[in-house]
Amino acid sequence: MSGPMRRIETDLLVVGGGPAGLEAARAAAEAGIAVDLVDAGFRPGGQYWMQDPTGAAPLSVQGEEGAAAIAKSQASGVAFHAGAEVFAAFPDRRVLANTADGPIEFVPRAIIVATGAHDRAMPFPGWTLPGVMTPGAGQRLAKLGGASAGERVVLAGSGPFLLAVAETLVKLGKPPVALIEARHTDLAIIAHLARHPGRWREAARLLVAARAIPERRSGWIVTEAIGDERVTAIRIAPVDRSGRIDRDRSETIGGIDALLVGWGFRPMIELTALLRCRHEHDPALGGWHCITDRASGRTSVEGVYAAGEVTGIAGAVPARLSGRLAGLSAAADLGADTAGDESERASLGEQLARARAFSDGLGRLYAPPADLATLAQDDTIVCRCEEITRAEIASAFAAGTDAVAGAKIWTRAGMGRCQGRICGAAIADIAAAETGITPREAGFNPPRIPLRPVPLSAVLEATRDGQE
Amino acid sequence: MSALVTIDLDGRAVEAEAGRPLGALLHRELNAVLRHTAKDGAPRGLFCGMGVCFDCLVRVDGREGVRACVTPIRAGMRVETVRS
Ligand code: FES
Repeated sequence: MSGPMRRIETDLLVVGGGPAGLEAARAAAEAGIAVDLVDAGFRPGGQYWMQDPTGAAPLSVQGEEGAAAIAKSQASGVAFHAGAEVFAAFPDRRVLANTADGPIEFVPRAIIVATGAHDRAMPFPGWTLPGVMTPGAGQRLAKLGGASAGERVVLAGSGPFLLAVAETLVKLGKPPVALIEARHTDLAIIAHLARHPGRWREAARLLVAARAIPERRSGWIVTEAIGDERVTAIRIAPVDRSGRIDRDRSETIGGIDALLVGWGFRPMIELTALLRCRHEHDPALGGWHCITDRASGRTSVEGVYAAGEVTGIAGAVPARLSGRLAGLSAAADLGADTAGDESERASLGEQLARARAFSDGLGRLYAPPADLATLAQDDTIVCRCEEITRAEIASAFAAGTDAVAGAKIWTRAGMGRCQGRICGAAIADIAAAETGITPREAGFNPPRIPLRPVPLSAVLEATRDGQE
Repeated sequence: MSALVTIDLDGRAVEAEAGRPLGALLHRELNAVLRHTAKDGAPRGLFCGMGVCFDCLVRVDGREGVRACVTPIRAGMRVETVRS
């Protein structure tokens, strides 16, 4: 672990090996640019193209598609660094990643950030109980661990990703016992789908999987997870079309051993934030996301590009298209001869606009209900790391705090190891409920180095020089 | 497909598939309870499953604060859970 850090100088560093990063890296490499790609995963592919770590056959069509994309990227000459977690970045574009063999310092001429997203979680009573997980965790347990999250799993929250997880569990022979979708989406989704025939096959596949779930409800929300050492039951209540929860009609579902609950995704902006790119807040895009020029993937910082979910939640199709666009424009900006790519880039831009129209529509249809921030009660833990309750956070705002960063100083919420990645947005929503300021005005916690735990020696070496 | 290896989990020998996430194994072996928290002594298990939430912390080969969900299983690794 100790000793001098490896240093790699390269034309282009791509961070993230999902659909956006793989496409970006391949496009640039094929244009003749030297490309290094770092990915934190066990194998490249990201969350969407997740590959079985033992080399077993993919469990899903996405896995097969991903295996092909990875092979193409590899054939194009991209240098892969798998299992490498980025823990620092500096405005001079140096990026530090930790690997099993110690840290690596990358010194690239340009960077494409394709760090993807993580599940959007919202605190509610019982959400810290073992067995309560995000849908993404359930998906990873299945695809990486080869096992279901439980024998009797409930899927809940909102959004089409719940159906993707259902499909995986059905393939494992462990169909969920219930699917609790908060939105009333049936007719609206059919109307939306009707306008996008390119997505019919995928939708049909997911609906077939959903049919294997014995209890399916829409317009219901999980209000509480119940159990001593792990979840054994949940309370659910109807939620109307305006997002109001009717607790008088609550019901209990017992005899379960896992609850996967999530509300879509949040862009993973810590790296673009460290690199000082401009960000904007839009609930339909998952909250805070990195602003890019859609035609080129350029961020507000010269030499830094972004693609995929970090630029606003939209799914895998836009991620691939925006990745390829960013790879081509980065290659051109780095001096590759890409004159012949003009017409391709124009056509990619049109496809991207169409794909985003589909996902933006879905994002609106599955937007979390208005009452979501009221699920957490006074004694509900909001910050999982520091065990800070809603009442403690509310008192900080009552005392005059007006930002997520201020609540952190007052209460330690967001100061723990996750750096507020899980609770930060929930705190902004609670601020909005308590004070009337908007989640946008409440802001987010700026990321700190190291983003992920690393040996102390690596941090010391990394921050000794070069930081402004 | 992959090699079965043995790891040491709180002093007991457990067979597991090399390369898979340690968190998935612990989720099964420990009935979802991976640790207890320092402040309240509350039970915690996997939550995000992808290295973001830091709820799955265990000690591996003496090193503290290792996220089980993003740690691949290796032959002979020594895993200790933090219980209150
Ligand atoms: S379960 Fe979230 S970091 Fe491991």
